[in-house]
Amino acid sequence: MALFIYGTAINTGKGFFTAEDRRNFFLRGYPGNVWVVGNSEKGALWLAEKNGVEKTKAEAQAIVDAEVTAAQAAYDALPEDQKNRPGFNQRPTAITLP
Amino acid sequence: MTTYNQLAGLRVNYLGSDPTLNTGNEGQVWYNSTSGTLKSLVQIKAWSAGGNMTTARGDLASAVSGTQTAGLGFGGYTPGTGNRNLTEEYSGYTWAAGGNFPASVRSLAGAGTQTAGLGFGGFTTTTTNVTQEYDGTSWAAGGNMSTARFQIIGCGTQTAGLGFGGATYPPTTKTALTEKYDGTSWTAGGNLSSVRVLAGSAGTQTAGLSFGGNSVSDNTNATESYNGTSWTTKANLNTGRRTLAGAGIQTSALAFGGLTTVNSNATEEYDGSVWVTSTNLTTARETLGGAGTRAAALAFGGYGTVTSNATEEFNSTIFSPATGAWASGGSLSTARRALGGAGTQTASLAFGGDTSSDVKTNVTEKYDGTSWTTSGNMNTSRYFLAGAGTQTAALGFGGYTYPPLNPSGSTATESFNGSTWTSVNSMNTSRLQLAGCGTQTAALGFGGSTSPGITPTAATELWNGTSWTSNPTGLNTARRLLAGCGIQTAALAFGGGGPPNTAATESFNGSTWTSVSSLNTAVIQLGGCGTQTAALSFGGGPPITAATEQYNGTSWTSAPPMATARANLGGAGTQTAGLAFGGTTPPSTAVTEEWSGPQTTATASTLTTS
Repeated sequence: MALFIYGTAINTGKGFFTAEDRRNFFLRGYPGNVWVVGNSEKGALWLAEKNGVEKTKAEAQAIVDAEVTAAQAAYDALPEDQKNRPGFNQRPTAITLP
Repeated sequence: MTTYNQLAGLRVNYLGSDPTLNTGNEGQVWYNSTSGTLKSLVQIKAWSAGGNMTTARGDLASAVSGTQTAGLGFGGYTPGTGNRNLTEEYSGYTWAAGGNFPASVRSLAGAGTQTAGLGFGGFTTTTTNVTQEYDGTSWAAGGNMSTARFQIIGCGTQTAGLGFGGATYPPTTKTALTEKYDGTSWTAGGNLSSVRVLAGSAGTQTAGLSFGGNSVSDNTNATESYNGTSWTTKANLNTGRRTLAGAGIQTSALAFGGLTTVNSNATEEYDGSVWVTSTNLTTARETLGGAGTRAAALAFGGYGTVTSNATEEFNSTIFSPATGAWASGGSLSTARRALGGAGTQTASLAFGGDTSSDVKTNVTEKYDGTSWTTSGNMNTSRYFLAGAGTQTAALGFGGYTYPPLNPSGSTATESFNGSTWTSVNSMNTSRLQLAGCGTQTAALGFGGSTSPGITPTAATELWNGTSWTSNPTGLNTARRLLAGCGIQTAALAFGGGGPPNTAATESFNGSTWTSVSSLNTAVIQLGGCGTQTAALSFGGGPPITAATEQYNGTSWTSAPPMATARANLGGAGTQTAGLAFGGTTPPSTAVTEEWSGPQTTATASTLTTS
């Protein structure tokens, strides 16, 4: 059985996920409103209750990649004097979903 | 290795969810397969020291319907001095003088609360039937009892009081009389099954409880319950005694102290059916005062080896460890990174920051525990700034104002009054990527870099509400993009880098930084909150992380991560109620997460009985 469920859901703020949710199942958020949820009954129920759209891992990774690519493009468009300043303005790096 | 099975003769339960946290599951150990944590449930019952009464005395009365954090003691007797007219009010920490009782009296009864108390009967130079009502400030005469008596017992409230037993004098003649008070006058109620003096009590006028005391010829362990009309015999105390105190209600009471043939420290709990032995008082004593509930009681005064002014607090709590966790909060209106933060989890402030690459903002937002709303803008848009103070009294300082081209950081300092930012005196050292902590009138700024991407600084400055003063010595490890927390005279600096990233943690005492235990992971661009001895570190990067660590004044330990990994985020609050907001994932994010520290206790009063 897969360890995780992948999906997209809009973070609606307070109550979107609770401390108890975090204690009950694995939950991580990524750019592009991508969420990686522990593959359990409670995890699946949470994603469904949040009107989440389940994705395959590849689909979810593609969404994250698109977000990172857009951020990298924004960085690349910066004047040269604003680039390559460690800890200040660095080119976004790829994110690999678990 | 000895296994739990060998020790306890039991296997650890493997459960999908926690069992009900009630006393019936006390002592259970189980593995929660959903959260992957080993848990246990232990009920802790203990008396602990409270603040001493101002005047040691016994034979005093208590507003027995008072609470552990709002008690009232009055009257009494101090050997060598005589009867007392003193009233004292307990806050949960200390006793303070209240309005004097109109007469110096001992062996009287009490009822009601700290702000609506009732005192009646007792012994002045003879027995009295006088009733006095307390309003939180002073006593005023109420209606007299029908029968004057001392060593009488009381419970209920100021407007629905119950007085029972006691002795008339002279000669000393014990009674079984019961009288009910309606706020104006007393009327007869059904008598106790036998004469009684110096008993313990709990409950109300229509659901009262009498236990122990002295009856026909000796101490008794008899318990009787009152239904507003008549008394019914119930299960006996385990230890017969007189001059004990009580707390709670008819179906859930606590009996403590008293005199057998010697002073007693015995404590017993009553569930409406039986009395069971509980944890002993620290100081054995008789004729003490009592108030509160079965799970949170108060004992004070009395005669022990000496006349006592000691206060003890009884607490019955359930301990079921649960890890801390981050939960979602309301999102910022303006997504941003490298912002300033101040305040608490439910009253925090976010200001300045960078909405995308080098697009500075002066936007200020206030968080109320649910959502963010915009407030007055800063005068100077900037990012990589630091903050201190509260939502209504904050300070923002330093940072970066590019563009226009600015080769160095800012010295600008602004003060926020809850709605408007005002420019005040500047820092001595221009810088960005610094950390700050403290209050609006006693802040601390430390570390950072004087130019973007250039050598980090160790410089530390102290703000006194008017101006900044450079501290003679700086951080031991110069760094930027660090986090800080605490106050001006007890601060903590952690993480950051030059590069390289550092895990170094330093503690500030108002004049000198001292290296203490490092973070487990070196991290830069992190968030932080808390105090010098109870701090929280979260997020940071690159690589972007959601990691959380907790500091207990000695060492850092890993804690559950945020849901959204990010760097250059804002932080506010405490180690047990923290707030993380904004940052970059990338791109800049508006996400807010609320940290709830490890759950340590649930009060027994909130539990269901098994």
